[in-house]
Amino acid sequence: MYLIKKSEVGKIAKALAADYQLYGPYVDGDSGQVMFDRVDDPGVIDLSAAIPAIPPKNVVFPQMECVYKYKYDRQKKSVETTMVNSVKPKALFGLRSCDLTGMRVLDRFFMGQEFVDEFYLNNRKRMFIVTNTCVTPFAQCFCACTDSGPAAKEGYDLNLTEIGDSYLVEAGSDRGKELAEKLGLEKADDGYAAKKKAVVDKALDSFTGFATENKAWVSRVTNRVTTGFIKDEVWEYIGDQCFECGACTFVCPSCSCFNIEDVNQADGTTERLRSWDSCSYEGYSKMAGDHNPRKPVEDRRNKRFFCKLSYSQSKKYLRPGCVGCGRCAWVCPGNIGLPNVVTYIRREITK
Amino acid sequence: MSDKHECDNACKVVTMPQPATIVEIKDEIVDVKTFYLDIDDKEIAGKFKIKSGQFIMCTVYGAGEFAVSLPPSPENDRFHISVRQVGKVTRALHKLQVGDKVGIRGPFGNGFPFEDIKGKNVIYVAGGIGLIPLRSSIVHVLQNRKDFGRIILIYGARSPKDLMYQYNIDEWLKIDGFETYITIDSPAEGWKGETGFVHNMIPKANVPVDNTVAFVCGPPVMFNSVIKVLMDQGLSDDSIISTLERHMKCGIGKCQHCAIGRTLVCTDGPVYTYRQIKTLGEQI
Repeated sequence: MYLIKKSEVGKIAKALAADYQLYGPYVDGDSGQVMFDRVDDPGVIDLSAAIPAIPPKNVVFPQMECVYKYKYDRQKKSVETTMVNSVKPKALFGLRSCDLTGMRVLDRFFMGQEFVDEFYLNNRKRMFIVTNTCVTPFAQCFCACTDSGPAAKEGYDLNLTEIGDSYLVEAGSDRGKELAEKLGLEKADDGYAAKKKAVVDKALDSFTGFATENKAWVSRVTNRVTTGFIKDEVWEYIGDQCFECGACTFVCPSCSCFNIEDVNQADGTTERLRSWDSCSYEGYSKMAGDHNPRKPVEDRRNKRFFCKLSYSQSKKYLRPGCVGCGRCAWVCPGNIGLPNVVTYIRREITK
Repeated sequence: MSDKHECDNACKVVTMPQPATIVEIKDEIVDVKTFYLDIDDKEIAGKFKIKSGQFIMCTVYGAGEFAVSLPPSPENDRFHISVRQVGKVTRALHKLQVGDKVGIRGPFGNGFPFEDIKGKNVIYVAGGIGLIPLRSSIVHVLQNRKDFGRIILIYGARSPKDLMYQYNIDEWLKIDGFETYITIDSPAEGWKGETGFVHNMIPKANVPVDNTVAFVCGPPVMFNSVIKVLMDQGLSDDSIISTLERHMKCGIGKCQHCAIGRTLVCTDGPVYTYRQIKTLGEQI
């Protein structure tokens, strides 16, 4: 454990910017929204900013990326295929623990199963992660219910926790330790473990609304969704409110569905693009010839909640997909963000 | 225990499509053609081993990629795919000629059981182009006839000119002890075979029940009526085997488009027993 003065924490970001493409949270001047994106000047990073409007999922899994290019010359009958590789490793500075948990769900999904996704691996390998403990939860947060916050437990290189006028810096990997030593950070004494616990406990106590009322209910609903004992009417009720806009999937740190499209370029090459997709779209499961096995919206909607609230996804994710960031509730025009889905199922169970 | 994908099956083929040359094109029925393919890279071609019931992802350069089942037997059979033109990519494929190239990724999926069904009677029930995925298993089983009991094929199509693999059927009809029932929906001029729907042929074929597996593939309407008759005859739901199709983008369990119930058709399927299909809780 190390300590760094709050005013000097930018030193870590600056050191990372030398070797990595630096990503961090900042307040966008035009919109006033908190963004988590590439920053050229480490000085703009604002660690006290609220959780970003869009999770930094696009750093590992871009909203649209060209995975490879090919050129087919029909005259010469020749094919050239080239994989597109990004060169410089990336560093994420000031990631919240919910977003880190979401990223670890994606790690397991893309790299931990039978087939390893090379394109994801290419983005993820050599990534340096600095997490930032939430000392006060934000209004829509419920990570306390989903075991994904307010402090990151593992998977970071460095973790920052605001204590008084300093940040407690914990190293979670050899690389993290090396960097802390290199910067000559002041060592923190053992008493800081208890101080950090006090900060985290205080944060846990300051959750309001949904997160306090439903702590046990999230597990209970997860159990119900896993075992499938939920009446079709509940899914129909939820489906009735769905606008099929796909916003919930795009702001979700653990949603991973994608589409692949071949796009022909003017120079005769074709780019194979992969882009985020959403299981709420009607065309999602439509086959050539127009047979669509999942036409009704509730058939598609409940699949998303199976991903987010079910232990049957454990093999894929090692945990239910929901990380309690509350962004889906924020963006949903139909008011069926995950907290409301839990509430509706809760209502059904207690009926 | 590692659950990483480990095999000597030309692993490169998983993410990058390997170029293959179309060496022959055969017209099958209206809108369906068979493409015989040779993988260009000899080293990969040598290691490219398939199981019956698996599928590949086929890239039509400049148009896109689609999932397609594999009709060739894993033993001594030319590598080919049979494709109906129905969407943007398959229509582009049908415009290609001998000598043109396509890309191949795969093979993917679990495949039909083969070792497990040795010693059993085998019934194949197919409708229309449902014969395409079953052909692989049929040829494979016929190549190893001594290992199996009765082998029965019940195959139906709308009319004589909608029968897939006519040249194979002609051969199969001559094979001694291979019980074939080829039927068309309604009588047609010059047709000497059976008439009527496939599920009505099942009692006529006097199908065995004990120690028997049935492979069923065809359009959903046919599938449901065939299952009903087979169950009525006394077959159990875990001895009825089918292969499902879904919209697919990646083939390796990542894009999630082929999710059905809590499984993925690309990695958990495409071959399911009827017992499994019943638990999926979704339309097939």
